[in-house]
Amino acid sequence: MAVYRRGYQRYQGPLTGEWDRLLVLPRFAWESLMQQRLIAILFVLALFWPAGCALFIYFSHHLDLLQGFGGAASNIFQVNGEFFFVFMNVQSFAAIVLSAFAGPSLIAPDLANGALPLYFSRPLTRTTYVFSRMFVLAGVLSPVTWIPGLLLFAMQSGMAGWGWFAENYRLGLAVMGGFFLWILLVSLIAMACSAYVRWRVVAGALVLGLFFILGGAAELANAVLRVDWASALNPGRSMEQVWRAMLGLEPLPGPDAWQCAVCLGLMVAGLAVVLRRKLRPVEVVS
Amino acid sequence: MTNAIRMRQVWTIARLQLTRVFFSKRSFWVYLLALFPSVIFLGHGVEVKWKRERWGAQKTESGILQSIRRGDTDGEVLQKAGMPITDFRSGAFRRRREIGGENEEREIERRYMMFFDGTNRWDLRFENGILQSKRSRPLNDFDEDRQIFAGVFQYFYLRLAIFFGCLGIFMNLFRGEMMDKTLHFWFLIPARREVLLAGKYLAGLIASVLIFGTGAALSFALMLWPQDPAQLSAFWQVEGAVHLFWYAAAAGLACAGYGSVFLASGLLLRNPILPAVVILLWESINGILPTLLQKLSVLYYVQALCPTPPPVNANAPLLVRLLSAPAEPPAAVVSVLGVMAVTAVVLWISSKAVRRLEINYGVE
Repeated sequence: MAVYRRGYQRYQGPLTGEWDRLLVLPRFAWESLMQQRLIAILFVLALFWPAGCALFIYFSHHLDLLQGFGGAASNIFQVNGEFFFVFMNVQSFAAIVLSAFAGPSLIAPDLANGALPLYFSRPLTRTTYVFSRMFVLAGVLSPVTWIPGLLLFAMQSGMAGWGWFAENYRLGLAVMGGFFLWILLVSLIAMACSAYVRWRVVAGALVLGLFFILGGAAELANAVLRVDWASALNPGRSMEQVWRAMLGLEPLPGPDAWQCAVCLGLMVAGLAVVLRRKLRPVEVVS
Repeated sequence: MTNAIRMRQVWTIARLQLTRVFFSKRSFWVYLLALFPSVIFLGHGVEVKWKRERWGAQKTESGILQSIRRGDTDGEVLQKAGMPITDFRSGAFRRRREIGGENEEREIERRYMMFFDGTNRWDLRFENGILQSKRSRPLNDFDEDRQIFAGVFQYFYLRLAIFFGCLGIFMNLFRGEMMDKTLHFWFLIPARREVLLAGKYLAGLIASVLIFGTGAALSFALMLWPQDPAQLSAFWQVEGAVHLFWYAAAAGLACAGYGSVFLASGLLLRNPILPAVVILLWESINGILPTLLQKLSVLYYVQALCPTPPPVNANAPLLVRLLSAPAEPPAAVVSVLGVMAVTAVVLWISSKAVRRLEINYGVE
């Protein structure tokens, strides 16, 4: 065919499915993230605690190796809801640090370099874009949160037997569900900060600052106003309360799990609004 | 070039930079951080004043309230003390208790009354019309408020607000210019790089000291606002001004110390968040470190200047409380000299770094 006859023709080949499209961005982003030495180091560091917890479970089933502790060993080495709560607490901090380094590089460069029109000119909606970016973070955070959590649960179930599993299956569900909620919150915070400030470095500081400062501000308000409801404004503390309810543990003093869940829901909604406002393919500059 | 001219250059650079630090859109969150405690203290002050005024209209003599004893009926209490400010009945419920091996079930109706004697609030709890407990506490406790302010200053201001505020302000001085692609304008001016560094540091220091010093002073003033005038005047005559001075000095020194560290990390590293995380962790675990290691932190010296020790968190995990062994605080002179020495060393390292700094906007 002559060149001048080659006008516009719609692509006639096979189209990728909607779910496949969702995974296009994460596929490239995971690769580039894992090439960053710092992320790889943090990733490895974040796995030390799960390894320590695995040793703890092992020793809890081999108390004969710890005869030096005497009878106290059986009291110390107990794998229960409290054990998984401590595990989740430590890993949640690791997740914050990882998201502070990995999260901002997801959206900020696209916004700073005006690349959003390039994404949205493909069959990608804003929601798909946000979900695919969230998948990137979920992919980075899962191996340090719910996956080791479930492995620890499986290890304990394997060593303690079917009876323990039947009695405590709720712990495994709580670890997985609790970490899913945490990944959702942390990813949204990282993406909202990234979209809001557009600077990778500053966004990272903002992610860290948000968790620490909100925690400090909540404690400050509690102390000065002699109340305890302000704890619900601390995302970490609110999530702890929800986790304790999921793990069937005694609640912490202050707002109960439902009130904390409502606060967390409001935070998630607020972050979604920020993302919706900031992620615009076209920006009118006056 | 004489030192006087260099000093003038430093001041000119600082003046130009100050406008950017104070009025830049990116700096507004720092104001928010510095003024947040003031807003909370204002809220507390308004609450105390409002309650004092509202409850004062229904005041009951302190002697009458003291004469009320456990076992008095609610009718007797009302007869003696008059109408309470709050009178609340909870619905009846059944309580099962074991007496002499037999289960006895009783229906209980609870009632709560609150009186105010002008200074203290009195909480009276009744069960089935009989007074079970009586508790009085001051509407506003000056000592407790001062203790809370000490906690707010040392846990919120020093560890969070000034830390993150300085991270934002001082990191912006060089790394921000690099990201804005404007650093080459500064490098083109006829001034040595060390002079530029000194000017920028001075601007950051003035801004942070003014913002956080004012924030802390405002919080202090708002903490004092609802207090009893007699207690307040006694406080001002004895130690008020000294407390205010040392809190301001601690805030200023923290800005100088953290500022120099973040300025240096902004110059030496492309991503200053990493040192920030390390320093934050180091400062957070400072209280449980061995004495020698505690001395290797800004917080150790700055906290020593605070006039009131921070309250101990009774809810902290047992392990943390057991491990907490605060080192002996240094003398005020040692603290000031210590932070200034650290600042001088870090600025010297920064001056070496800024001389070698090459602009590469592409990698940002």
